[in-house]
Amino acid sequence: MGISVQYTVRQTMSNLWRNRLMTIAATLTVAVSLSLVGAAILLQQGVSRAAGVWKGGVQLIVFMQPQASQADTAATASLLASDSMVRSSRYVNQQQSYVEFKNLFAGQKDLISAVTPADLPPSFRVTLRTAKDAGAVGARLGGRPGVKKVAYNQAGIRAMLKVTGALQDVIVGLAVVLLVSASVLILNTIRMAIFGRRREVAVMKLVGASNWFIRVPFMMEGLVQGLLGGALAAIVLVGVRSGVQSLVARFQVNALNAVVVPGHEALLTQLLLLLIGSVVGAAGSALAVHRFLDV
Amino acid sequence: MIRLENVTKTYKGGVTALSGVSIHIPKGELVFLVGPSGSGKSTLLRLLLREELADGGTVWVGGKDLSSMGKWKVPQLRRSMGCVFQDFRLLPNKTAHENVAFALEVIGRPRHVVAAQVPQVLELVGLGGKAHRRPHELSGGEQQRVAIARAFVNRPLVLLADEPTGNLDPDTSRGIMKLLERINRTGTTVLMATHDATIVDAMRRRVVELDHGRVTRDEYRGVYSYGA
Ligand SMILES: Nc1ncnc2c1ncn2[C@@H]1O[C@H](COP(=O)(O)OP(=O)(O)OP(=O)(O)O)[C@@H](O)[C@H]1O
Ligand SMILES: [Mg+2]
Repeated sequence: MGISVQYTVRQTMSNLWRNRLMTIAATLTVAVSLSLVGAAILLQQGVSRAAGVWKGGVQLIVFMQPQASQADTAATASLLASDSMVRSSRYVNQQQSYVEFKNLFAGQKDLISAVTPADLPPSFRVTLRTAKDAGAVGARLGGRPGVKKVAYNQAGIRAMLKVTGALQDVIVGLAVVLLVSASVLILNTIRMAIFGRRREVAVMKLVGASNWFIRVPFMMEGLVQGLLGGALAAIVLVGVRSGVQSLVARFQVNALNAVVVPGHEALLTQLLLLLIGSVVGAAGSALAVHRFLDV
Repeated sequence: MIRLENVTKTYKGGVTALSGVSIHIPKGELVFLVGPSGSGKSTLLRLLLREELADGGTVWVGGKDLSSMGKWKVPQLRRSMGCVFQDFRLLPNKTAHENVAFALEVIGRPRHVVAAQVPQVLELVGLGGKAHRRPHELSGGEQQRVAIARAFVNRPLVLLADEPTGNLDPDTSRGIMKLLERINRTGTTVLMATHDATIVDAMRRRVVELDHGRVTRDEYRGVYSYGA
């Protein structure tokens, strides 16, 4: 005997309405915590895109001429390999650079269509044994045949990565605390719903309603709260993203263009928020049903 | 239909509510369960509903051994039983009709079945005209009739009643008893725990007496108290 969908929906809705204050509190807590999670993810995505080339501790980038000969490139590579100040180096060819470029400026179609792989310089990504040697190594390489330019990881970028890293830890920590309180709130709402329906539950048990028939509306109630919270957070995220976008546009900070996460990545994050919301809601209500609904 | 063999029940805390109880009730009988307060009558009914498990002996209902029955089968068991109590246990915010319909809806009976059976059973218990009243708009006797309608609407094999007339005056009680007797005549086995001597004495049916958790009397055409 299946559980009637209509009955479940009706029962869930009426439970939500009966406990509407608690429902609102639980939903908002889920929404706030998930908005934080979403913001942290956007920040992570944006910064790691903007600072992508400097990821993994890269301290020096040696840009070669786009037309540099194989011999020049090989000479530079072996110079780097034999340099005792260099810990490691990695060659990024034109095609790889192009992929990187497309990714970096994913939001700007005109820019991408104006550039081909042949326009972009290949480069060496260099990691040093100690950061203070950057100047010495750079000086040795600058001006060698085929080398176009040596770029250093400025303190600014390093600091940005550090700060956003720390900021993320704080945001995620806060979000986890809030998510835990959200599931406790949901648990409590469901407990109250069970208490409010104890007579009905007693009659249902007496006349032989199946265990799942009794449980499912309460579980759905928690799931809906979590899902609603996730949906609110997803909407908030749209606002955050377009806010950042318009700020970057307004101040014409081209360097920050890459901070704006492309829509499809943001969509993925939003789906993730819905998922986390449902999980939190389901977990809270499952626990409440397990603890307080003796069937 | 109902069989207990050497059944023992001790509650947590050490109270022995039943010890060595053996009773056999064939299909279609009407049996009164009497005995002083605390003698174990309600406990016996709870074992039959499998709200509690016996910790010794065996309980069968409709040929099924309740102690070895999986927890998931309990709802199915309860669908074959109806149950009424002294305190009616109606849902206060539902009408008589809705209270009875609820019992069918939550076991997944289709809508047209509910629509057909509820008025019929309300008619049977004599409440055809009061189907749309809520419990607080009904007398105690009428509320108990709703409860009986709810217990009977699914045509159970067994009807259990725990002091169904405990809150009612003698006249009303007699009416309720007549109704239970009528239900019994349809072939439903009825087991009724009661303190109502007048009713038991008037009916002269099978009486099982419990005292301190033991069966002290089991006789046909019995009266409420032995030697009275
Ligand atoms: N849930 C419980 N936990 C512990 N002890 C219980 C519980 N239910 C009943 N008892 C004890 O078991 C014994 C039998 O109780 P039961 O309710 O079966 O008696 P009864 O015959 O129905 O009494 P009454 O006529 O007053 O309704 C009593 O001593 C009672 O205190
Ligand atoms: Mg009792």
